[in-house]
Amino acid sequence: MGPTPYNSSNSSSSACSSSTKPPPPQPPDQMDHLLAGAGYKVRSNDLTQVAERLEHLETVMVKSSPVDISDIGNDAVYYNPTDLASWVDSLLTELNPNGSGSGSGSGSGFVSGSGPAYVSDPVMNDMNNVYGEFGQQVVTPIEEDVSIRLVHVLMTCAEAVQRGDLSLAGLLIDDLQGLLGRVNSGCGIGKVGSFFVDALSRRVVNSPQNGVVQVDLSAYENEILYHHYYEACPYLKFAHFTANQAILEAFDGQDCVHVIDFNLMQGLQWPALIQALALRPGGPPLLRLTGIGPPSLDGRDSLREIGLKLAELARSVNVRFAFRGVAATRLDDVKPWMLQVSPKEAVAVNSIMQLHKLLGPGGPRGPPVDLVLDWIRDLNPRILMVVEQESNHNQPEFLDRFTESLYYYSTMFDSLDACTAQPEKTLAELYIQREICNVVCCEGSARVERHEPLVRWRERLTGAGFAPLHLGSNAFKQARMLLTLFSAEGYSVEENEGCLTLGWHSRPLIAASAWQAIPKPSVVTTGR
Amino acid sequence: MVHILENGEHFHADTREPEPEPEGFGSGFSINDHHDLLIEVLKRLDGRSLGAAACVCRQWCAIARNDSLWEHLCFRHVSPPPVGVRPVVSALGGYRRLYMVCVRPVLSRLKRRRLGGESEVVRRVWNQHEVELSLSLFCVEYYERLLVGGGRVAGDSPASSSLKFLCMPVNV
Repeated sequence: MGPTPYNSSNSSSSACSSSTKPPPPQPPDQMDHLLAGAGYKVRSNDLTQVAERLEHLETVMVKSSPVDISDIGNDAVYYNPTDLASWVDSLLTELNPNGSGSGSGSGSGFVSGSGPAYVSDPVMNDMNNVYGEFGQQVVTPIEEDVSIRLVHVLMTCAEAVQRGDLSLAGLLIDDLQGLLGRVNSGCGIGKVGSFFVDALSRRVVNSPQNGVVQVDLSAYENEILYHHYYEACPYLKFAHFTANQAILEAFDGQDCVHVIDFNLMQGLQWPALIQALALRPGGPPLLRLTGIGPPSLDGRDSLREIGLKLAELARSVNVRFAFRGVAATRLDDVKPWMLQVSPKEAVAVNSIMQLHKLLGPGGPRGPPVDLVLDWIRDLNPRILMVVEQESNHNQPEFLDRFTESLYYYSTMFDSLDACTAQPEKTLAELYIQREICNVVCCEGSARVERHEPLVRWRERLTGAGFAPLHLGSNAFKQARMLLTLFSAEGYSVEENEGCLTLGWHSRPLIAASAWQAIPKPSVVTTGR
Repeated sequence: MVHILENGEHFHADTREPEPEPEGFGSGFSINDHHDLLIEVLKRLDGRSLGAAACVCRQWCAIARNDSLWEHLCFRHVSPPPVGVRPVVSALGGYRRLYMVCVRPVLSRLKRRRLGGESEVVRRVWNQHEVELSLSLFCVEYYERLLVGGGRVAGDSPASSSLKFLCMPVNV
């Protein structure tokens, strides 16, 4: 007989890490509260039976000739599925009049699945897809059940949150904590699940209309997490190297170049560009770098410090270099005049995972991203480099966002599992956890991690007056080579209509694209 | 011919140098008196042997640390050798460091990914793209040391964490 995921008194989970407390066993006569949340009434001790019979029903429906099914359709007799047990019985007798009565578990023609039984309800439709992501791990059958149940409960909880049913969500979170205790939280679904459970519980516990605001880290702490994320996995390196290659090619033949970096951090991207410019045939140009970053609150002028270090490096390799720092809390606070772009120079704008922060609710003049893209276009850059997360975490419905981000971050955590260096890995996970928390807990202007996939960025950028630039084969080769240097073999670089995506086992996670501004048609400009 | 050296050790490199002749046999020729010859010989060694040569005696150590030897090693099979690279690499820490920190791990990592070809020759042959990537990684590494050290960085300080991934065992 197949395993029974819904038998919550199954405590033979000794293979897993020690649990804190087992989930409270439900009195057998009560309705299962998970399904009740979804609108179905099933008694807890009937669950196994109902599950098996639904599987049977599916087999029978598949095997029946189309004629039989349409008979049901023409009959126009509707059975109320709320009472699942009797509903499935009725359907079975309709379709299979000679078939098994109630209670025949492994009857004839019944395929006793080697996988776990599942109940088909709407929330579960996505579950199997998500489970596919976790299929990489080697798990015991018991753990597999708990993992599936964990995902199922996560989805149900998210749905409850979307409906506003916070009391049910709270109950489910207790369930989830229990499940987490039974699963290996060192890797796979256990680890990423715990972050999502944490985020959900924050949302449920402090949920004003406007959403939770995340605790701000100091700029220094942010830098540390970012640096470890940079080292533990190749995503940022891929972004930097691909961007540098594109910028290098765009600057070919130019003597005065100006790079505007939307998020300087520690300036890790720029040494490689400086070195490449130093070695380019014909000699290096005059390089100006304008770095945008958050203002430092603790007295350190970190922008200036980074500028000094970069200048020192540039001096060592004989590249004429000038740095300017622009401190701004948000990108839409930056005004073009602060960048002091001179008309003689070739401009490159570099945005590594920054544009999505501008997709939030806009002011009276429109969404921030359109305004920013507009002034970027006014600068007439030779190249606008955009690297973004390849996922849709900006959907209006909470459940959709939740599902998509569960997919996405599970894959990312899978890839991170390949990194063995500590403390890089733990801190990188913390960095990612903050993203997860922002996507799940926050709303309104506090939610800044509004990732959108490449197709949407293409629409947006084309609509804003930019034409795509193809990233050449050099960038592709370099990216592939960079990846072979990383220890794990799961990374893959793909080319997608001139853009490059980096992914884990064919799920793209980061997309890099290059754009060129189409000069505005010259019209008489009215005052704005 | 190699005479008994300063610290009393004999050195038998796995090179094409002849076996050391017994004392009192020869013409009084000592390789240590002919640095240019020694350098010509050392130029043909692979990285590991060059490192071993540096352990022979103080004189050999000084000679083997000559950056031009390592430059030759780094760009041996890349033709033509890129122009203007030398001052850049020197500024970033020198060819010896470039080899130790970037080139050797990159090559050995790439070698593991190639089908077959275990020979030394395969290991040393690499193309322009790989050179450029190594140089970029080297530059990032230099910069990270700048960030951490805050000031001039010594040529021999240990590699910063950015290149740790190169040294980690490959999880194939």
